[in-house]
Amino acid sequence: MKSAPFDYVKVDSVQDCVAALAAADGDGKILAGGQSFAPVLAMRLARPRLVVDVNGIPGLAAISVDDGRIGLGALVRHVDLLEQPHSPLLAEVAGWIGHAAIRSRGTTGGSIAHADPSAELPVVAALLDARMSVVGPGGTRVVAAGDLFEDALQTTLEDDEMIVHVDMPNPQAWGFAELSRRHGDFGMITVITALVEDQWRVCIGGVAGVPFRALESEQILADGPLDADRIREAARSAAAAVEVSSDLHASATYRRAMAEEFTLRALRQATTPTMKGVA
Amino acid sequence: MSRSEQPVGAVGRTVTRKEDRRLLTGNGNYVSDLELPRMRHVAFLRSPYGHAEILGADVTAARAHVDAVFTGDMPEMSSVELRALSALPTYIETAQPILARGKVRFAGEAVAAVVASDRYKAEDAIELIRMDYKPLPATVVAWEKPQVPVHEGAPDNVLLEREFVSGDVDAAFAESAVVVERELTTNRHAGNPMECRATVALWDKADDKLTLWSGTQVPHLVRNMLAELLGLAEGNVRVIAPDVGGGFGTKAVLYAEDVAICVMAREMRGTPLKWVEDRAEHLQAAAHARDHRYLMKVGFSSEGKITAVQADVTCNIGAYSVYPWTAGIEPLMAGGLLTGPYMVDNYRCVTRGVTTNTAYAGPYRGVARPATVFAMESMLNAGADKLGISDLDIRRLNLIPEDAVPYRMPSRLVDDSGWYGRALELCVEAVGYDDFLLEQKRRAEHGEAPIGIGFACYNELTGLGRAAAAGPRMPFRTGHDACTVRVEADGTVTVLSGVTSQGQALETTMAQVVADAVGVPYEDVNVRIGDTNEALWGFGAFSSRQAVIGGGAAHRSGEALREQILKLAAAVYEVPPGEIRLENGQFFGKDERMDTLGTLADVARIAYMESNKLPAGFEPGLQVTRFYDPIRGAFSAGAQVAIIEIDTATGELNILRWICVEDAGRVINPQVVDGQIAGSIAQGLGGALYEHLVYDRSGNLSTGTLLDYLMPTSHEIPELEIGHLSKPADNPLGVRGVGEGGTLGPNAVVAGAIRNALGIEMNHLPFTPAKVWEAMA
Amino acid sequence: MRVSFALNGRMEEIDVEPRRTLADALREDLGQTGTHLGCEHGVCGACTVMVDGRPTRACLMFAVQVDGCSVTTVEGLQSDDGKLHALQTAFSECHGLQCGFCTPGMLISAMDLLHREVEPSRERIREEMSGNICRCTGYMGIVDAVEQAAKQLNALNSTTEPPAGKTD
Ligand SMILES: Cc1cc2nc3c(=O)[nH]c(=O)nc-3n(C[C@H](O)[C@H](O)[C@H](O)COP(=O)(O)OP(=O)(O)OC[C@H]3O[C@@H](n4cnc5c(N)ncnc54)[C@H](O)[C@@H]3O)c2cc1C
Ligand code: FES
Ligand code: FES
Repeated sequence: MKSAPFDYVKVDSVQDCVAALAAADGDGKILAGGQSFAPVLAMRLARPRLVVDVNGIPGLAAISVDDGRIGLGALVRHVDLLEQPHSPLLAEVAGWIGHAAIRSRGTTGGSIAHADPSAELPVVAALLDARMSVVGPGGTRVVAAGDLFEDALQTTLEDDEMIVHVDMPNPQAWGFAELSRRHGDFGMITVITALVEDQWRVCIGGVAGVPFRALESEQILADGPLDADRIREAARSAAAAVEVSSDLHASATYRRAMAEEFTLRALRQATTPTMKGVA
Repeated sequence: MSRSEQPVGAVGRTVTRKEDRRLLTGNGNYVSDLELPRMRHVAFLRSPYGHAEILGADVTAARAHVDAVFTGDMPEMSSVELRALSALPTYIETAQPILARGKVRFAGEAVAAVVASDRYKAEDAIELIRMDYKPLPATVVAWEKPQVPVHEGAPDNVLLEREFVSGDVDAAFAESAVVVERELTTNRHAGNPMECRATVALWDKADDKLTLWSGTQVPHLVRNMLAELLGLAEGNVRVIAPDVGGGFGTKAVLYAEDVAICVMAREMRGTPLKWVEDRAEHLQAAAHARDHRYLMKVGFSSEGKITAVQADVTCNIGAYSVYPWTAGIEPLMAGGLLTGPYMVDNYRCVTRGVTTNTAYAGPYRGVARPATVFAMESMLNAGADKLGISDLDIRRLNLIPEDAVPYRMPSRLVDDSGWYGRALELCVEAVGYDDFLLEQKRRAEHGEAPIGIGFACYNELTGLGRAAAAGPRMPFRTGHDACTVRVEADGTVTVLSGVTSQGQALETTMAQVVADAVGVPYEDVNVRIGDTNEALWGFGAFSSRQAVIGGGAAHRSGEALREQILKLAAAVYEVPPGEIRLENGQFFGKDERMDTLGTLADVARIAYMESNKLPAGFEPGLQVTRFYDPIRGAFSAGAQVAIIEIDTATGELNILRWICVEDAGRVINPQVVDGQIAGSIAQGLGGALYEHLVYDRSGNLSTGTLLDYLMPTSHEIPELEIGHLSKPADNPLGVRGVGEGGTLGPNAVVAGAIRNALGIEMNHLPFTPAKVWEAMA
Repeated sequence: MRVSFALNGRMEEIDVEPRRTLADALREDLGQTGTHLGCEHGVCGACTVMVDGRPTRACLMFAVQVDGCSVTTVEGLQSDDGKLHALQTAFSECHGLQCGFCTPGMLISAMDLLHREVEPSRERIREEMSGNICRCTGYMGIVDAVEQAAKQLNALNSTTEPPAGKTD
């Protein structure tokens, strides 16, 4: 299990990164935390000619808070999210990603760019309509999460583009519920809910190819007071709308049922005063 | 549950393990750590198909980049094949090529090998080999008819079938008050030691001498087999198993890859060849286990006594008859021990080993019994349910009682334990059965998460002597081991033992045994194991045999050495031979109050360095070699009980209590015994809840990485409460093996607890949350 | 490519292909074979080392990436006079290892945990050590050992008395 040969360049600016990728003409890949990319290389599932190490680019590891929004540099590590005081939701989410040794390397930009449907951060990004600042040879563009994720492990990023920054609202209240086989595993079902600008949002990961925003449930939640019945109805609606498939770990029926159960749990966490998601 | 007695000698105590310092400081010597001058690295190309004809291989591109490329059709490879032998009349002998030739029989089978300056380059080169395949329909399920048989000699894929019969099953069923029938299946999983396989082979440049460093559990067996396969004098083959990162049976096999590397080394004399298996290879191609189906029928009398057991057992043995254990290893163990620790007079079992296009099955901790215990215990629960008695009472009624021992099982194995009831009652007491019942009721009344209790009782057949074989009739009997113990010139003691260790602390426990047998401090004993050039003989680590057999040999040689020492010391100190003792390395005379006569070091010096002082009639040196064979085996009684809470919304299980009581006989080292039990329960739980090697219809392994093959972590394994019984066994140390028992319980316990909590039956392993939830629906 | 970094407090300089993992460089180029490889895809934890004070999978990092970093492996746990770290002693006393293959990674992960949390409960230990798989011990001895080492280190910090060792 050894990687095929590649050339390696460590860049110290986003411009150099993008230039190196552009020069590689589709045959270059960014190396961030390496926690997804290194196994892919080791199994020879990818064999880029050039690996561009972005870990030395200064200024991309900052977390900023401003006016109800939170900004994350692409190189903010999962452990930094876990330890930051600004967003309890992000701290909670980071705690569910792998294990300490994974969290000390894995990055925000990497997780979102990798677009694993079972990964937690893409769910957060989709839930909060995160805006990714993406730099390419032509300059910077801002991509909303909804326009970024195409399918499992597929995004609309070009080969020579780099996510440099992620910006999202810091929710007023939130709920997080995940079902995984073992502690630290990718979620079979991850449901995150959040109250943003007085609107409840619900997003489900681990089921479809991309994180699923349960818009109908969100409408139900908006239509009246959040009593137990409404929460139950919202969960049912989310489960009915989600696209599920069977795999090694569970059948589609089970996944759908769990989508409902974990939406319920996330919403309860977000709305029960004694629970941690309540602001 | 603590131990009270404080032993005087080294045996029975927890001592600092001799292995620990090097392993804790990063200085272990694993095969993967070995670095030799001019060493080259091997990588295998493996079949992407479960079943395919090999039409051709083009290695020209690869050859240009590396030292050598080998394929199965080269004469040096095709002239060697592995044929696991058995004298069972129904056994169909098949051959396993060391690199696939003609066709591939499972995905992951090695089809070519390259030798390069490092592993990276070797992996580069295997990508340049062009193999031309014609895919064939694959068979992955053992109880389905094959379209194309795996081996020509076995058109129905059945390599062996045997019937066990005792009593009159039909008559007994006719008279039974209740008869239950079930189909149960168990999940293919594997030992997966944290260190994968690793091999270094060096064929001497000039002489026909081979040295093999290997993580093998069976170095002497490997030496014997390699000598025969490669036409070498046995004394010219040296097998060294240094520190080994876990084995669990997986490494008790002589693999095609091992032999292929030796053949490659012969072609490249003087160049050490190293292969370190990676995890993807390991999951694909190291021995699997436990892919079984049980069609069970059990009768009960109206009061709940078992009247008859009938079983039809099919074991998926994979693509080859595992060398040298044969395709019989699992089916015969299953048929022989299915009735477990229960009184059964009427028994009929047909058991078969079926070859398929999957990785071959081999020994894995507990061999077949995690499955048979699951089958048997599930049937008891089903019977109890029908009879309206409790899971606990049906066991109490049927366990082999103390006064029935020696008890001849229906498969004719002789049980010497009978302490099953004691083990069970200790568990029941520890778990607080009555409190459990109250809590279960309380939860039901309050609509809280349901809890259930599950039981498993089992007998672990350990330390099998020559008369107690439970397996296929192979051309060797593994009943004995040898041990050499000597006093060195400085008075320290060296043990050359035929045992091997993959973590079981044999260096430590052999030192404890010898220290007491000779009469020296534990610290003065040094143990050398795992090298066929040092120990005379040992079959190695499997079937929980080493504490009994290797320990017995160490004890016998130690005692004989003590006699030899005392004879010499008596002559040196001029006291009557019967009136001298050796304690803690010092000689004492008859008078208890007298000072020491001298030290072992003094006498040892005379024995080696100062022959001028040797009394008349004594030869120099102090050394003894003894074999030991217990002739029969020692059964270890075991029971496990757990309380499990179920999240009915998700099917997730939360283990609240897990209790295990086992009989290790006389305990050599309490901490090591507990460690063996805890480790094997964890593996059992892995199999019950998480681990599953899944093939798709075409024979591709869907669980090819540790992201899909889930081994339990510290978070999944509950706090384990371990209790002990100690019925001394009939062997020199009184010990019973405990290496495997822990794995036998979890399948059955978890199934029982789910049934007890929810009234649903879980007959197909593993018990994932999804399956539990679906069973509830 | 030339890479230089501090390994257990000593500067090392090696010349490696970019694709060479840190684990392979430690084991093969520097002969520090205490760091083990159990999966090479980040799951088992056997290869866990400290890079600049953070636990890191050495199988998922390329050696070229540690240029200028400080790396601690199991070989660096003992003090210079050969005295074992409290965790090493505790692992031995509590039978936290059998075959020892997972042990180097376990020790590093445990060290990281005890850096972050002074007195983790058994449940916390079980959670935080879950990134390291042990196939032998059933984790009992490992949890015991981390718990014991935490106590000893705390006692050491509060009294400066050396922790009591094992006597036999
Ligand atoms: C054992 C284990 C368990 C894990 N468990 C979880 C889990 O439970 N939940 C979870 O979410 N994740 C888990 N992960 C994955 C981990 O979170 C990764 O860190 C993450 O998915 C990828 O981030 P990275 O920084 O490591 O990216 P890398 O692995 O370096 O890169 C991943 C991909 O993204 C690209 N990329 C990286 N950065 C950028 C960028 N800034 N712009 C554009 N493209 C970029 C790379 O080219 C590559 O294709 C686990 C990993 C392991 C090994
Ligand atoms: S070898 Fe690195 S995590 Fe397994
Ligand atoms: S001690 Fe063997 S894997 Fe942990």
